[in-house]
Amino acid sequence: MTDAPITRSERRQQKRLKRFDNPWMNPKLIWGAGLLLGIIALGLIGRVLWDPELVFTGSATLKLPPVGFENLRKQPGVWSNPLGTDGGGRDMLALIIIGAPNTLFVGLLASLIGMSIGIFLGFSAGFVGGRTDDTIRVLADVMITIPPLLILVVFQSAFGDVTLTMMALLIAGFVWQSPTRLIRAQVLSMKQSGYVQMAQLSGASTSHIMFREMMPNLVPYLFGSFIASVTTSIVTAVGLEVLGLGPQRIPTLGRTIYEAINAGALIQNLWWWWGIPTLLLATMFIGLLLINLGLDEVSNPRLRKLS
Amino acid sequence: MRVSKLLLTVSTLAFAAFSGSAFAQDISREETVIFDLDRTIQDPENFNWMTPGTKRMHGAHQTMWEPLFILNYGTGDLDPWLATGFESNGDSTEFTVALRDGVEWSDGEAFNADDVIFTVNMALTNEDISSREASTIRAQVASVEKVDDLTVKFTLADANPRFVVENFGVRIFGSFLIMPEHIWNGQDAATFAFNPPIGTGPYTFTSASSNRAIWDRNDEWWGAKAGFQDLPAPKRVIFLETGGEESRAQLMASNQIDAAQNVSIGTFEAVQAQNPNVIAWHQDYPFAASDPCARQLEINTTMAPWDSAAMRKAVAHIIDRNQIVNVAYEGTTEASRTMFAQYGSMAPFIDAIVDAGHGLPASADVAAGQALIEGDGWVRDGDYYAKDGETLSVNIHVNSASTEYTRTIDVIVEQLQRAGIDAKAVPVENGVFWGEVLPFGTYEMSYSWLSCGSVNEPWASMGRYTVKDVVPVGERSPGFNNTARWDGDAAELYSQIVDKIGTMPLGDEAIPGMVAEAYAHLDAEMPFIPLVQAAKLLPMNTTYWTGWPSAENYYNHPFFWWNHTHQIIHNLEPAG
Repeated sequence: MTDAPITRSERRQQKRLKRFDNPWMNPKLIWGAGLLLGIIALGLIGRVLWDPELVFTGSATLKLPPVGFENLRKQPGVWSNPLGTDGGGRDMLALIIIGAPNTLFVGLLASLIGMSIGIFLGFSAGFVGGRTDDTIRVLADVMITIPPLLILVVFQSAFGDVTLTMMALLIAGFVWQSPTRLIRAQVLSMKQSGYVQMAQLSGASTSHIMFREMMPNLVPYLFGSFIASVTTSIVTAVGLEVLGLGPQRIPTLGRTIYEAINAGALIQNLWWWWGIPTLLLATMFIGLLLINLGLDEVSNPRLRKLS
Repeated sequence: MRVSKLLLTVSTLAFAAFSGSAFAQDISREETVIFDLDRTIQDPENFNWMTPGTKRMHGAHQTMWEPLFILNYGTGDLDPWLATGFESNGDSTEFTVALRDGVEWSDGEAFNADDVIFTVNMALTNEDISSREASTIRAQVASVEKVDDLTVKFTLADANPRFVVENFGVRIFGSFLIMPEHIWNGQDAATFAFNPPIGTGPYTFTSASSNRAIWDRNDEWWGAKAGFQDLPAPKRVIFLETGGEESRAQLMASNQIDAAQNVSIGTFEAVQAQNPNVIAWHQDYPFAASDPCARQLEINTTMAPWDSAAMRKAVAHIIDRNQIVNVAYEGTTEASRTMFAQYGSMAPFIDAIVDAGHGLPASADVAAGQALIEGDGWVRDGDYYAKDGETLSVNIHVNSASTEYTRTIDVIVEQLQRAGIDAKAVPVENGVFWGEVLPFGTYEMSYSWLSCGSVNEPWASMGRYTVKDVVPVGERSPGFNNTARWDGDAAELYSQIVDKIGTMPLGDEAIPGMVAEAYAHLDAEMPFIPLVQAAKLLPMNTTYWTGWPSAENYYNHPFFWWNHTHQIIHNLEPAG
């Protein structure tokens, strides 16, 4: 046994190799996750450092601009409302501290539920086959052709005021079909591989094979699919909110934009009212996109070499 | 931003598509006046104004159907229109109305006493027609008879000194419109669609769809031939649904409409900065004209826990009117002290009520409100009050047609929430709100102005909450009267006094004292909570047309969705 210590250059080489080899240390992934975590941190830390009560109607002077700007009435921004206020006297900073995590929450919850349904149905269809497969496949195909926003607009108008969770549940009903199809296809191809057949021969139960043998190999796909459905869910949720159909007293980014449009913020040049939530939504989507690209590279090594 | 731009693009495209068809004929923009419509035309093929829906304010009663008289808000006089005058007997139970000579329907038939008698009889005999004006006629008139071709005599069931102004004078919004007997005869007034419609006005119907109605000038109009008025200058009048405040403002700034519905003061200032031709009632702050319909929170007194007067009173204590004025109206109006519009002509009655101690404060007394709630057995549990495991909550229905309405309710929801009531706003589309929610009592609380009516005497408003109009939830309140369904001992006492005021001559010195006495019951029971005075900031565009009503040019008020808009259109002159 030689105990010779490795040289510095060797160590550096090793470190570099490790970094390149660890697929999870992907810069896109890190940046994307960083942006989303930043928004979550904004929500968590903001609640401690800033007064969340300012999010309600009439808490401050109306239509104040952010610090360093003037509104049409020549009122300058003040530090007690650093990002300005909206037409109902709500503080913009408090609005995004509460609203941005709410928007993200709807997206995450909806796709978490949607994915769980998708995983279960996809595995069942792919692995069990036969009638089960036919039923699930037809169901998913039919659902894919239905435009979700159309149905949701009707649903939400009928419900009136909904809670965030309620809205997430409704959206979840429209984001399970794509993961179902995707997972089913993967499972079908994986079913033929050696280790699955081995497990079958050794008498493992269906659920054991599905969730203990095959699932771990699908993790990158599942993640990618999850992130894609978070994006879809947020787009759907924001779409509903901008139409004024989301929760009413709970601040969300989409509702803020709805109120800005409704109150004539564009013509009054209250750009901070619609601009700040729009910017945050853009950040959120860029973060999700980066994570998705990063995951793609993680699960597909060929993409990694190209980059 | 993407979404808002998309919305803008869509509305611009929609407008472009519409204007393409509307201006296809050779009437130029300079000869057209375009009014803003704040609601969708639910049934553009139907012109039977006696049934509910958008049948009048899309131009029909502003251009095509004329009233008998028009109450002039500036002078307080009744300006004669299709009628020339009226006389009544000493105790105000018989009214003889003289009609103008030479009036014609647009198809050439003469307008005369037969049309008036026919239409009134239709309202008297057909129980299925439900418009407010028809219900009022049915409640008041015992019989109507023809004296000669131009004279009609009404005999009333009870004395009513304000019969003419109330029914035929466009006091609030509309008047009882006379329909052509030669077309309506033999039709069922509850189902007849009256299409194509005709009227006596200077415009005839051209086309309508769900978002606009077009009316073209009839150069053969009787008024010009008979020397009553000149032909109005605009060759075409369009009522166009603009959508929300943003698109309304953009259309105004770019001269695509000539008169817009209410906007907030910030929006108005921005529009004026972009388009200096845009004016409003006042040249300077607060710009807005005061509307005679003061805003209120209507409470359904049949639904627990709001069937308790103490609970309603508690809500009244919790509401901070100053905050509504400052946040929802940005300081352009004032807090209501009573149910009445705060016009100079109403001052004696308002003062009598305030002196008797029944006036409303502008600020809130949350502690007093909470004490009343606790007195009713509710216990604060965390954010909200609860009793028997049930949280104290309320849904407030609000018409989503204007930001004025929704902003007010947002403020009230916030105030109630902070005081421990789980209040929620339920925005409802205009047609559903007026057609289903309010008249049938399917709400707990709602935002309305249903005590509207009085502009120079107290009875018109007070008479809307008497016990004779109480109907069960699920049945239509007659003429939107007492939609709160307020009854019980206090309501009986109130009604007795109000009914008595109704038969007394206008200006009787005993009236203010009686008003205060009746108001004591109203104040104690709060079937509705007066909020603020209504101010309407209506941008009007002088790029194509001048002669708009304003504080300086006060020929009448500017509410161009009312039946008096004939006067506005006759006053318009082409600019430049």
